[in-house]
Amino acid sequence: MAGVLNRLYTGTGAFDIVGRRRVWYAAFSVLVLICIGSIVFRGFNLGIDFTGGTQIQFPATTAAAPADVEAVRGVYERVIGHEPEAVQSAGSGGSASILIRSEALDASQLVPLKQALFDTFQPIGASGAPELAVISDSAVSGSWGGQITRQALIALGVFLVLVTIFLAFYFERSMALAALVALLHDVVVTAGIYSLIGFEVSPSTVIGLLTILGFSLYDTVVVFDKVKENTRGLLGLTRRTYAEAANLALNQTLIRSINTSLFAVLPVIALMVIGVGLLGVGTLADLALVQMVGIIAGALSSLFLATPILVDLKMRDPRFQQQAARVAARRAKAAGVTVDGAAADTDPDIADDAVLAGELRKERAMAAAAGVPARQARGGQHRGARPAGKVARPTGKRQR
Amino acid sequence: MASTPGQIRPWRHLAAFVAIVAALYALVFFTGDGNPRPKLGIDLQGGTRVTLQPRTETGAEPPREQLLQAQQIIEQRVNGLGVGGAEVVVDGSNLTITVPGQEGDQARSLGQTAQLRFREVVGGPYAAQQQPQQQPQPGAPQPGAPPADPAAPPVDAGQAPPTGQPQGMGDAVERDVAPVAFSRPLQDPVPPPAPPPAPGPAAPADPRLAAEVDSARQMRQSSDPTVQETALLTLDCNARDPLRGYDDPTKPLVACNQDGTEKYILGPSFLEGTEIASAQAQANTTGVGWVVSLTFESLGAQTWGEYTTNNVGKLVAFTLDGEVVSAPRINQPIFGPTQIEGQFNQADAEQLAGVLRYGSLPLSFESSEAQTVSATLGLASLEAGMIAGAIGLALVFLYGLFYYRVLGILLILSLALSAAIVYPVLVLLGRWIGLTLDLAGVAGFILAIGITADSFIIFFERLKDEMRDGRTFRSAVPRGWVRARRTILSADAVSFLCSAVLYLLAIGQVKGFAFTLGLSTVLDLIVVFLVTHPLVALAAKSRVFSNPGLSGLGEAARTGAERRRVLAAASGRSKGA
Repeated sequence: MAGVLNRLYTGTGAFDIVGRRRVWYAAFSVLVLICIGSIVFRGFNLGIDFTGGTQIQFPATTAAAPADVEAVRGVYERVIGHEPEAVQSAGSGGSASILIRSEALDASQLVPLKQALFDTFQPIGASGAPELAVISDSAVSGSWGGQITRQALIALGVFLVLVTIFLAFYFERSMALAALVALLHDVVVTAGIYSLIGFEVSPSTVIGLLTILGFSLYDTVVVFDKVKENTRGLLGLTRRTYAEAANLALNQTLIRSINTSLFAVLPVIALMVIGVGLLGVGTLADLALVQMVGIIAGALSSLFLATPILVDLKMRDPRFQQQAARVAARRAKAAGVTVDGAAADTDPDIADDAVLAGELRKERAMAAAAGVPARQARGGQHRGARPAGKVARPTGKRQR
Repeated sequence: MASTPGQIRPWRHLAAFVAIVAALYALVFFTGDGNPRPKLGIDLQGGTRVTLQPRTETGAEPPREQLLQAQQIIEQRVNGLGVGGAEVVVDGSNLTITVPGQEGDQARSLGQTAQLRFREVVGGPYAAQQQPQQQPQPGAPQPGAPPADPAAPPVDAGQAPPTGQPQGMGDAVERDVAPVAFSRPLQDPVPPPAPPPAPGPAAPADPRLAAEVDSARQMRQSSDPTVQETALLTLDCNARDPLRGYDDPTKPLVACNQDGTEKYILGPSFLEGTEIASAQAQANTTGVGWVVSLTFESLGAQTWGEYTTNNVGKLVAFTLDGEVVSAPRINQPIFGPTQIEGQFNQADAEQLAGVLRYGSLPLSFESSEAQTVSATLGLASLEAGMIAGAIGLALVFLYGLFYYRVLGILLILSLALSAAIVYPVLVLLGRWIGLTLDLAGVAGFILAIGITADSFIIFFERLKDEMRDGRTFRSAVPRGWVRARRTILSADAVSFLCSAVLYLLAIGQVKGFAFTLGLSTVLDLIVVFLVTHPLVALAAKSRVFSNPGLSGLGEAARTGAERRRVLAAASGRSKGA
């Protein structure tokens, strides 16, 4: 039991996520390609807001004839003259309702239809008595969904630009880029899953898609914050490579990412179960479904995509490559010397300014003492001396 | 570093939070109507919502001012329905009409471009003075003058005493001269010429409304002069007009002007607004001020030319939905482009041109979404949202307790207080800026539970990091907070950025969702800074909460202790070496 869960819980850096990045890239590429393919070839199951039409809804609890799908279809046909597109019952218990979908009806068709439905079924409202007013209806022009989508796309564009600026200022360019790639992945995958499974796309879905962007990015920001912290002054040290530091950051935030996603997805699941169970279809169910899909996609991408991409971007920089080479060289040396197993596990807490400055000073001093122009290679010789310096620090802290 | 960063006085923060909460609830209960209910959207309380999408020829965005003008006009129409709480708001480039309750069905037709007609002025204008107590009095400036009597001088707005004075606050009926009523009326009724064939009268689909329209037609569209006279007397220009948009063009009409200051007896429609090809406001080339020039379609031009030839010197009325927009005098026979002159300023001229082009709205609208939600369905949705929220919270509570043990209580407290602060803000914003909570907004709050919980999680995982490094709970709190704070701030900034962009750019229900999400993000910061952090700081001093076995931090503490031990051993060894 102390195995995986414990490593997860304490975040001691035991999962090599960054190291296996090629695997993730391959997996994500396949996923994204499938999604794009599905979007292109299968398209979406567009709801009434995109196709236009009228939707009528009334409670299934009735005083007269039981409102079953066939009976409702009959009434519709009698009044309008042809079949409705769909009649379904939705929800359960006291909130169960009958849903009719049809092509757009104008007032001269709608009013008699509502009257006929009322006369036949006498649906009971909140007051306990049948009343005409319990019959809801909505008429949507086919352009409505398109209009919402257009606005949503504009919002998406503006958001991406602003977020890029924000990230570039707050982090650095490669982080902004990596976060954006992860973000785009989330959009494509969420949309792709909608297309693949054939969930109905409503304006609420489009909205939900936008909001998960904020959420996905939020996740990435938290991870990158830790990466940033772990890699401060990295170039001056030979303790670990950028990839290793990033991987450690991932591990340290792993349980947080999982928890955050769980904490976010739990209420959303509740929303979906209640939305579907009680009301059948509608805004709540639509929003919850897209968010659930998006939160999961966002969590996966912030863990397995954003940081690996960041590492690859960083490693294009020769300075980080040289540093990685120095780390490797030092380790090769150290492997020859007796390895102090216990000390190898201790890392300087480079998040702490004082400690970091101390470490940097030490590295410089070592380089100078060894008479090597660059701070390369000879560091390994001084390995034994390091823990001594480290011990002085915690002791001091404890006295405080 | 005299005081360690992250070190706080917890009670002070908590007191500040309590003060904020107290102030908010005081505002809720002691200001405004004191009604502690947030404003609900129509999908939660039942009602009608109609979204009107402007149709422009090029598909381009309509000018903002035209949209605002249209909003004003539709607002007047909504008020004409006589339902309470109705609202017309500009939403992006759309207009959204919301009418709560079950009376809103008629709202669906409000966005229709009004029907513009040309009618002969048979009698009038007569000043409309229908203050009830004065109405029966004969003489004085009364609308009692028989229409057939050319000797009776019309009481026009210019002569009526209140005109020219600032508009009264109370029941003053007579208002300033209508911006488009520009010609000096000339009392010269003649028998109406034979009307051209006009489209058959429309009737509303609602049977109750249809009956109302029917009786109004009998009264005000009679060709019998005595009935017309009675109609003129009883017509109340301030009341809702059932004939609005339903007047029969083939019959005479007794009507008010748009301001409700004048009444007219009009002949049947001889020309429909659909015959107008274009209308433009122009600076007057031959005089001062502005004119409106219009051109008719070929058939309309023919009719207009003939009519103006036969009726030089008489008045002709433009009616919109059965109301007189203006009644200029015909100066000469007009074939081809027509100019309407008057005392226009540019805005008046442009408005009239818009009216002539589109009917009374400066833009043509298409109803892109019309929804009537029954109170039953609204209630069910509200319930579903509440239940979902409660279950979601309960799940988060349970998981929090499971994962963070005793400290989970602090998480629950933070969430509960977050809810306690969201509620009054929702009520107050509903009052101040008309924020309505709709179904999408409920979903926004439910999603925000996750965001609020996350700030707590970030802080806690930082605490664990610190303890893993060998610190005690007590010393981990200030250091963990300093680092968590930065992460929380940047993460919330992204989340807020997202909702702000959505709120500003998106339309329809997106706005509600984005607003509640953004609101929760901001309130989350308040709760984290003023509640969560101080509580944890207090907990660090408490024996129960800092008990590693109970706090869920045991594992991290053990790792930290282990690490300390190893370090100590290593240092011992290296000293020995």
